[in-house]
Amino acid sequence: MLEPITTRPPDGPAMLSIRDLDVHFPLANGQLVRAVEQLSLTLRAGETVGLVGESGSGKTTVGKTALRLVKPTAGHIEIGGMDVIDVSARDLRKLRQKAQIIFQDPHSSLNPRMTIRRAVSEGLILNTDLRGRTLRDRVSETLTSLGLPAQFHDRYPHELSGGQKQRVCIARALVLDPDLLVLDEPTSALDVSVQAQILGILKDLRDTRPSLTQLFISHNLAVIRFLCERVAVMYLGRIVEEGPVEQVFDAPAHPYTRALLSAVPVPEAVKRPDRMRLSGDIPSPTNVPKGCAFHTRCPIAEKGLCDTTPPPALTPGPGRMALCHFAGRTTEQT
Amino acid sequence: MTDHPLLDIRDFSLVFDTFDGTYHAIDGVNLSLQPGEALGLVGETGCGKSVLTRAAFGLVPSPPARITGGSVQLQGRELLGLSDRALRQVRGREVAMIFQDPMTYLNPVFRVGTQLVDAIRAQSGGQTKRDEAKAIALDMLEKVQLPNPNRQFAAYPHELSGGMRQRVLIAMALAAKPKLLIADEPTTALDVTIQAQILDLMAELVADMGLTMIMISHDLGVVAQVCSRIAVMYAGKIVEDAPVARIFDAPAHPYTKGLLAALPHPFRRQDRLESIPGTLPDLLHPPAGCLFAARCPHAAPICAKPVPMRRIDDSHRVACTLYDPAREKDRADA
Ligand SMILES: Nc1ncnc2c1ncn2[C@@H]1O[C@H](COP(=O)(O)OP(=O)(O)OP(=O)(O)O)[C@@H](O)[C@H]1O
Ligand SMILES: Nc1ncnc2c1ncn2[C@@H]1O[C@H](COP(=O)(O)OP(=O)(O)O)[C@@H](O)[C@H]1O
Ligand code: SF4
Ligand code: SF4
Ligand SMILES: [Mg+2]
Ligand SMILES: [Mg+2]
Repeated sequence: MLEPITTRPPDGPAMLSIRDLDVHFPLANGQLVRAVEQLSLTLRAGETVGLVGESGSGKTTVGKTALRLVKPTAGHIEIGGMDVIDVSARDLRKLRQKAQIIFQDPHSSLNPRMTIRRAVSEGLILNTDLRGRTLRDRVSETLTSLGLPAQFHDRYPHELSGGQKQRVCIARALVLDPDLLVLDEPTSALDVSVQAQILGILKDLRDTRPSLTQLFISHNLAVIRFLCERVAVMYLGRIVEEGPVEQVFDAPAHPYTRALLSAVPVPEAVKRPDRMRLSGDIPSPTNVPKGCAFHTRCPIAEKGLCDTTPPPALTPGPGRMALCHFAGRTTEQT
Repeated sequence: MTDHPLLDIRDFSLVFDTFDGTYHAIDGVNLSLQPGEALGLVGETGCGKSVLTRAAFGLVPSPPARITGGSVQLQGRELLGLSDRALRQVRGREVAMIFQDPMTYLNPVFRVGTQLVDAIRAQSGGQTKRDEAKAIALDMLEKVQLPNPNRQFAAYPHELSGGMRQRVLIAMALAAKPKLLIADEPTTALDVTIQAQILDLMAELVADMGLTMIMISHDLGVVAQVCSRIAVMYAGKIVEDAPVARIFDAPAHPYTKGLLAALPHPFRRQDRLESIPGTLPDLLHPPAGCLFAARCPHAAPICAKPVPMRRIDDSHRVACTLYDPAREKDRADA
């Protein structure tokens, strides 16, 4: 049986709020990489939101900037009401505990000379007053709850499989009892059977830690559909569509979302009839097309409009947004 | 099937002599391919897909590899035991290969056209004149639907995107009109919209040119777009081999079923994914029986004996005692 779809009230308190974010990187040759442009995104407390897009679209940069691991060029970011950009050293320390990030490659995220127990204890020692027995118990509980029982706790990373290492990384983040978890392609380096375990763990967190907010970054649409309540689709540094996962996947409003969905290789024998193929390649973020950034590849682009005028953020439905002059029309077509 | 197979691999086994002992990478593989067939070879990391398809054509250096038995016949001609020189000719003219990262196979300092012309001339043992080779090259660039072939002919590899480079490599591979194309994760490094373009192209080449192909992927969805048959590998053995529709709609092997249940689906709501419990067997000390037994919910005493591939019907083979009449008897005796 399927559970009813849970969507948080749209007016719940914001855990992560990003407004008008620009992140630009100057290159040695004088060019400017516009990794993130005028991006706004709000995550309500307890929500799991997926950030999806192709390589180079800016997903990682958004995640890192939200946690202040990258300095933004312009914009506002708040985590749990705390200004992340104008932040004192003391508040930054608090932020480092309350907001955690998990990366794609669990192997390079772990110190090879540290046991699993030490790796998970470290953050607690650094950020809390927990010591001795209480610290030990907290670490053991967390590891065990993620399917790593006692016999693993004194092992070193090289003695664990990829999936087990990723669980250690998740334990290391969760032990600090964060409010916000940013996950950057946490299953992309894993085989599907192992990915299923990690996705199960992350989905369970929605029940066991209902106040935990998750920003789940991935290029894999199937994974986002499985795990997330809402999804934001990125193209060339912008969010081009946003909304409840089921609605966006079933009736995408933006032509790029439609193309992305119809490009997913579906694991079934019948070929899908509703194929839509994009021609050409993704433009470079050093040279973002004028008007609508997607107009060079968009099958329904209108000359004289899309190549000159940036599209407004339209509302194709409640809780939805699409950055396209014709957002309404494209919904009808699907 | 009464046709003569194009490729016939029989009881093929290969070990690696390592510091820790003998690693049984490939064990008793049987696989045959009819002309015009496109076979998808799938399985998780390290299961032996690349080693199998490379070793069959003399591309795995020995030592450390050692082929311990079997035969590989291409149109009835035995390849195992051929000299390096003869194998190089087979690879140049009869079997072509493309890989995940096209840049590794393109020389950054020469123009794309120069490399294509050289490759085409080498494929014919220097028989083809330069201008003939150029005509073939341009024709091939057109066949792989590279936009503006004349311009790309004069470009350097770094001026092309990943998808365009993969098209160039496909053009190079197909210029010699090979009997067999091995494509090893040809789209894994590409973005999903570009992957879709390349998969469309490969499906067209199979349909229009009658290409015979083995396409390797860890992604069942990817091979489903192009192939008509799928062979599933696990720990150095093929465990199931069936038409695409059978694999998805009526998988027979518990491992294949496990893989499918672990897969998130982009267009379906799923509350849970099933992961496969346990870990891969130690191929330094492989058990005598079914290599999946330690993870299989149906494991029985009979599974501890060697489990051969058996036919369920004309087109469907599986290595599992569930389809062995002796299994019932075994249980009755116990
Ligand atoms: N420090 C940097 N200097 C220059 N350019 C950068 C830097 N960091 C990121 N970029 C560029 O910013 C753009 C967005 O990068 P980002 O890594 O956030 O994208 P992504 O969508 O997560 O990509 P991927 O899926 O490949 O990881 C890319 O063009 C990238 O090359
Ligand atoms: N040179 C080598 N020495 C020892 N083991 C090897 C060597 N090359 C490959 N292997 C092992 O053989 C197995 C199959 O490898 P491979 O065919 O590359 O897997 P994949 O299915 O991912 O392509 C793996 O366990 C790998 O570690
Ligand atoms: S604004 Fe124009 S170019 Fe951009 S997505 Fe909409 S139709 Fe396409
Ligand atoms: S042979 Fe036995 S252990 Fe192996 S897959 Fe079949 S039932 Fe399971
Ligand atoms: Mg990234
Ligand atoms: Mg491989």
